[in-house]
Amino acid sequence: MLNHHPMPEVLADYASGSLSLSHALCVAAHLEHCAHCRQMSDTLVHVGAQLFESQSLQLHGDSIDEGLKQKVFSMLDDETLQLDSAPVSISDQPASKPTSNGKAYKVPRCLSQFIKGSFDSLEWVRVSPSIKIATLCRDKDGSQVALSRVQPGGKMPHHAHTGDELTLVLEGSFSDVDGIYRKGDFILRNSGDRHKPVVTKDAECICLMVLDAPIQFTGFFTRWLNPILRHNHAFG
Amino acid sequence: MTTTAVTKTPQQHTDDLLLVANDRDRDAFSRLFDHYMPLLRAFTLSAHPGSAILADEVAQEVMIKVWRKAHTYKPEFASASTWIFTLARNARIDYLRKNSRHQSDIDPEYLWSEIPAEDGDPFQAALQKRSADVVQAGMSQLPDDQRLALKKVYLEGKTHKEVAEELQLPLGTVKSRVRLALKKLAVSIKR
Repeated sequence: MLNHHPMPEVLADYASGSLSLSHALCVAAHLEHCAHCRQMSDTLVHVGAQLFESQSLQLHGDSIDEGLKQKVFSMLDDETLQLDSAPVSISDQPASKPTSNGKAYKVPRCLSQFIKGSFDSLEWVRVSPSIKIATLCRDKDGSQVALSRVQPGGKMPHHAHTGDELTLVLEGSFSDVDGIYRKGDFILRNSGDRHKPVVTKDAECICLMVLDAPIQFTGFFTRWLNPILRHNHAFG
Repeated sequence: MTTTAVTKTPQQHTDDLLLVANDRDRDAFSRLFDHYMPLLRAFTLSAHPGSAILADEVAQEVMIKVWRKAHTYKPEFASASTWIFTLARNARIDYLRKNSRHQSDIDPEYLWSEIPAEDGDPFQAALQKRSADVVQAGMSQLPDDQRLALKKVYLEGKTHKEVAEELQLPLGTVKSRVRLALKKLAVSIKR
């Protein structure tokens, strides 16, 4: 049972298509785990469709050019434009191979564009004895998308956010002062939040993280990480 | 090719879409074109006022997609309008990705599916149909301020933050208007 879901307005921005792609990536990953939010998201699409269908056309009074219609009809005959194949389905994704500790992790469909094969195939950068990071992409708006992989019981350094941070638990679980987060949970932290996540002792924890701006480590002993992370990689 | 504008029921659009899917029926496609082309243009124009050429291009692209992808449409999950709205939304996302706003290495193809999400079961389909009916019935009952907030999010493609800035309202007010509206439309959201 998942306890942490995207806020309604985040789901609405997703359903309407206005959510930034990096945030949408986290929502899409959550939807793969959460039937309830999938249902909500589909309903939110119906809301959009209703608004779409009831648009006032007088505002854009100019009628459709008959030439445009002829053009579209002429394109229907184009053999190269025939039937599209169905979109990639979840079941088409190959199951990832068992990892070194014998567990078979499944890479979410939405991440398969970055992860060919298993999580192990990524370039993991060790940033502390218990923490590894793999960057998936950086967007031109400054946001970063990365995976974090923390050993069982591993502590994340104390940090504050300078922008929004989205976390989606892909494997394992972690906790902080606000509670425990399990596989599929979606967590949005706003800038200014300070927290100190600890991974549960039973298993390693892999999270998808989207950072709108670099995070700042606030602990006396971990401040040295700041320049390294600014320079290198996303972190959470 | 010209048909006179007659008000059609949602079921007729769905029937036409199935005729396109199964029989490649051009008369049915022509009827869909007449109904949806103005809506598609208006959809782009509400996000990009004055961009008539862009509106034509996007609408044309979506209509070609309707023709090419009609066989993937599943009437038990969604009305023709819902399905075509998802095509229009995805076309907008693609456009924004290639131009300024969403510039990104993330491929939206993997993030937004066309309704329904694949391998849905009949129970899901029934739920979807029911929630679509509730949405339709509830939409006309919404107070203007809530409806306006929804319109800005869905048609103008603005995020809640942008809507708040434009209406000069606190972000919390916009969020609560959208939440109240969604609640009335029976979108029960888990927290």
